[in-house]
Amino acid sequence: MSDLSTEQVGALAAALGLPVTPDDVAEVTHRLNALIEALEPLAELPLETVEPVPGFGEAPSA
Amino acid sequence: MSDGRADLAFLGATRIATLVRERKLSPVEITRVYLERIERLDPKLRSYITVTADDALDAARRAEAAVMRGAALGPLHGVPYAVKDQFDTAGVRTTCGSRILEDHVPGEDATTIARLQGAGGILLGKLNLTEFALGGTQHFPFGQPRNPWNPDHDPGGSSSGSGIAVAAGLCAASLGEDTGGSVRSPASFCGVVGLRPTWGRVSRHGSFPLSWSMDTPGPLARTVEDVAALLQAVAGHDPRDPLSSRTPVPNYALTLGDGVRGLRIGIVRELTVGPETDPEVREAVIDAARRLERLGAATEEISLGLAPLAGAIFMALADADGAGVHHRWLRTRAADYDQGTRRRLLTAALIPAVVQQRAARARVLLRAEIGAALARHDLLLCPTAHQPAPPIAAARGVITGRHEVAGRFFTRRSYVTPAALAGLPAIALPCGFTRSGLPISVQLIGRHFDEATVLRAAHAYERATDWVGRRPPGTD
Repeated sequence: MSDLSTEQVGALAAALGLPVTPDDVAEVTHRLNALIEALEPLAELPLETVEPVPGFGEAPSA
Repeated sequence: MSDGRADLAFLGATRIATLVRERKLSPVEITRVYLERIERLDPKLRSYITVTADDALDAARRAEAAVMRGAALGPLHGVPYAVKDQFDTAGVRTTCGSRILEDHVPGEDATTIARLQGAGGILLGKLNLTEFALGGTQHFPFGQPRNPWNPDHDPGGSSSGSGIAVAAGLCAASLGEDTGGSVRSPASFCGVVGLRPTWGRVSRHGSFPLSWSMDTPGPLARTVEDVAALLQAVAGHDPRDPLSSRTPVPNYALTLGDGVRGLRIGIVRELTVGPETDPEVREAVIDAARRLERLGAATEEISLGLAPLAGAIFMALADADGAGVHHRWLRTRAADYDQGTRRRLLTAALIPAVVQQRAARARVLLRAEIGAALARHDLLLCPTAHQPAPPIAAARGVITGRHEVAGRFFTRRSYVTPAALAGLPAIALPCGFTRSGLPISVQLIGRHFDEATVLRAAHAYERATDWVGRRPPGTD
């Protein structure tokens, strides 16, 4: 996944109705790109066959 | 204070309860000791947001009257405790460390608070935390919490005050909440014991949420025995938390002294001897493993290949949950958040679905990896934190590049989030000090609902070492 730009991040936030200052946008862009980059190694894992459920020690008691 | 009253403050919860029951210690006296210490020491440490002095003294007088008339006493009768300001307390403001809730006064107690009160505890007040239990707060609205071992250093979070107050003798024990290390990190940095119970073991009712599949209230205290006593008081099914477990709660005190002979302990290679782990931390944690070996446990180095990615996986999932919780306020009260909180939540709100989905699937693999390790071992061992408490200034700077994000947010979380992502019980306990005098902590992770084995091993280690008796400078 290619890097997001500050313009793209600002537009995404605006689309969600989230008020962000220019300073916010700059830091949020760093944070978001860092998170996406940190999770890139996961693409090498056999994830397609895994159900994305949290998994618990036992069934919820409800 | 050199009249012995400081010694009372460091007695510990179970010892206080015993002395109160034997009429050797007055609940009013011990409550006054803590209130005086809070007044004297907390303006610097900032562990409390709200001190309920009058209510505490009223409760202490009632507790004393109950003792004198020979009434049935709860297991924590007369024990002064404090709680993270994330738990609802009837008639006492509950801020979550945020200006957004600075005037919020709940009408009823969280289940955990009701149970601690029912056990006879005396609530001293509400403890400071990183805003909304998120971590990364840059400017604390109710004062910068400081590490009692060195006030220029971070006390850990998010249950910052819960760690400080126990370490500095400002309460006998405390309750925190651990989503991704929020009990264990302050326990580690402040040199006390902190337990994250199995997810579902303790009710979340009345605790402000962050991530529904990981939020877990947990106790902090100066000894494993005290942590076990608090867990005993709060554990068990709660009809008001539909995800709380019906798994029976054992009597933890019965097995606390059983030792570690015969236990198999896996030392997590990636977190213990990996490149991110500070050399002093590595040495102390390996020493702790050797000590457990000498006490009769069998240890073996094991690999959890996904553990170094746990911090980022956690933030993709828990933070996204948090963004959902905060969505309305993010739109309407963004300026009322601390800058660090706001930017973390804004980031979480924008995580692409494909990334979050990938993290959710990786969580399943990580959980399977840990499950396989715990099929072969009773406990897993690793550092609680990759480094000792960093300077406060290091956590407050503005992020100017992505390389800073990994160091400040992902790496350290990878040590505490494997247990959180897998819903497992994990304890942080002191295992040494750096040459500069900051605490180091070892972590033991157990099987689902097997807190008893976690506590038993931690207790055996604690009794074989002398880390517990140490007090931060200037707290006498």
